[in-house]
Amino acid sequence: MEHQRWRPTVNERDFIERALQSDLRVDGRRPFDFRRLKILFGREDGSAEVQLGETRVMGYVTAQLVQPYKDRPNEGTLAIFTEFSPMADPAFEPGRPGESAIELGRVIDRGLRESRAVDMESLCVVAGRHVWSVRVDLHILDNGGNLIDTANIAALAALSTFRRPECTVGGDDGQQVTVHDPEVRDPIPLTIHHLPIAVTFAYFGEGNIMVIDPTYKEEAVMGGRMTATINSNGDVCAIQKAGGEGVMSSVIMQCLRIASVKAADITSKIKNEVTSYTSAKALQKVKRLPASVLKKDSVPVVAMKGSADGALETQSTKASSEVQQISKGDEDHQNIKRNSSLTVDRTSKHKQTSKFIGGPSNWDPYSKGVSLSSLRISQLPEPPPTVKDNKQEDVEPMLTECNPEVQSESRLTAGGSDETQAVSPKSLKDAVKPKHKRKKKQHNKS
Amino acid sequence: MEETRADGRNANQLRPFSCTRNPLDRAHGSARWAQGDTIVLAAVYGPKPGTRKGENPEKASIEVVWKPMTGQIGKQEKEYEMTLKRTLQSICLLTVHPNTTTSVILQVVGDDGSLLPCAINASCAALVFAGIPLKHLAVAIGCGVLEDGEVILDTSKSEEQQLKSFAHLVFPNSRKSAGSKEANQKEEDSERGLITSITHGVMSEEDYFSCIERGLAASSRISDFMRTTLQKQVPGDV
Repeated sequence: MEHQRWRPTVNERDFIERALQSDLRVDGRRPFDFRRLKILFGREDGSAEVQLGETRVMGYVTAQLVQPYKDRPNEGTLAIFTEFSPMADPAFEPGRPGESAIELGRVIDRGLRESRAVDMESLCVVAGRHVWSVRVDLHILDNGGNLIDTANIAALAALSTFRRPECTVGGDDGQQVTVHDPEVRDPIPLTIHHLPIAVTFAYFGEGNIMVIDPTYKEEAVMGGRMTATINSNGDVCAIQKAGGEGVMSSVIMQCLRIASVKAADITSKIKNEVTSYTSAKALQKVKRLPASVLKKDSVPVVAMKGSADGALETQSTKASSEVQQISKGDEDHQNIKRNSSLTVDRTSKHKQTSKFIGGPSNWDPYSKGVSLSSLRISQLPEPPPTVKDNKQEDVEPMLTECNPEVQSESRLTAGGSDETQAVSPKSLKDAVKPKHKRKKKQHNKS
Repeated sequence: MEETRADGRNANQLRPFSCTRNPLDRAHGSARWAQGDTIVLAAVYGPKPGTRKGENPEKASIEVVWKPMTGQIGKQEKEYEMTLKRTLQSICLLTVHPNTTTSVILQVVGDDGSLLPCAINASCAALVFAGIPLKHLAVAIGCGVLEDGEVILDTSKSEEQQLKSFAHLVFPNSRKSAGSKEANQKEEDSERGLITSITHGVMSEEDYFSCIERGLAASSRISDFMRTTLQKQVPGDV
């Protein structure tokens, strides 16, 4: 039952090496090209999925209050946990992390923590008593080679979107720590001074052929490997070269020069993705739609596709054809998914503006979403307490993200399938009956 | 009569679900199954030669690995693994590949309630995509019983905290032969058995049967969805 790592045959090894001698790589890249980098963010803050070519790593950041270490009473902690999931490669065994998993974790740890990329002192709440302990979980989902670089980017992306709940110190002795609910006070991001980017080189032959970002096939053939962790300022944060082929120092200098160029590229890519993610989130906050409205729009009511739903339905069928394509071209799936959610954002934003202009005269009886939200707007004039506002702002972003795509998929089925009574014992009357009344009451109360 | 739930659904409404075929490259088959904000990624490797010690070498064995979002795997995750293993064993044709092991690895990507049903659906889809011979599909659904005895389907995390009890039910997929029309669907429904039932908390007998009844009806919708997803994607595979 033991499964070894993918081992190339003699011919495959020969082929890869020969091709490299004439600057050709098996996947058609040039020696110093990175594979395509894709960064996706999850619904929650602090989760990111990074795809570098076929390699996939998911980063997930959590934090909790702990007592600090004795020797550093005013600093928080950052710990990186990596485990090679057997999902990524049949060679990875479940259970204790293996050698390469520990090496991977250590290289990232050295690059991130020991270069003081994340500000630790800002994670202190009460010196010597309470500090935040940040935990980064890196799940290797698919091993296509060059796990270190991918995992490093995943850790950075997850850390830069992570928000920790705000807390204040109070009480009689000034030691009482109150952790505010993220719905009451906006959670705060980590302070990140710089982004250390890991760039891995693989050496072949007698160390005179080198490529960047090796795939798992190249990793099986290579004679040595070096990972240089460099930030966009050109500071070297960590260099890992564990044995292997000896490399001349002039080659290493060349590697570092290339690495700093690549690091700048990747840094800007990460920053762009993070800003577009955060601005998308901020946009959602501006909408001030109650969470339930968004959900209701998207959840298919199977029982009745009465006239009331007509307008919405036609809209979504358009989307559904798009979705079909997505699920076929599974690689691009994620990308398109984000796009579609973006477009939905835009449309709902449009709805919003039109409401401001038109007011009640713009009432659209065919779309539940609009009518509901216009209801809400009509209540805006009476200034709601800020706390309540925050609450709504924070709840809804989570809900909006995935729905658009999903909705149409399940609608698809709903259309194809016949209705069963138990699932949907509702009459047409129920469908038409607006939930506005109840909503209104709630708002008035609050 | 309809009480709306916190997210605007009514008692019998499911969250929108979606399924992605083979998101992973190395795995022999993989699926990402999402029900609302609950997302599970499942990967299948196999059949690999040999079985583990203690398994029957005359049949194929199935190994399930559960990966939580964060932290170590605890007792509950072990229970999930066990439940999944038994459920999948009952739907696989184990005698086709004797003395082999098929690994199913599940990674939780998002947890918003009904995690186990979502994982079962994901692993079933991944098995199909990996081409493992199956008797039929397994369709899972989470039902919850509220304090007042009302049954809600596909519970979310916030709802699960208010529940008196809940049941995770697994059914075989609804049959659809070429000849049969929609009219006799109901008869077929009643013929379908119950594969797995995991309940927590106290519920009356009627509540349980009401769970089963609603779950069965909901499962036929999910199995229709699964069928269309699988059918749609098979031609592209060849």
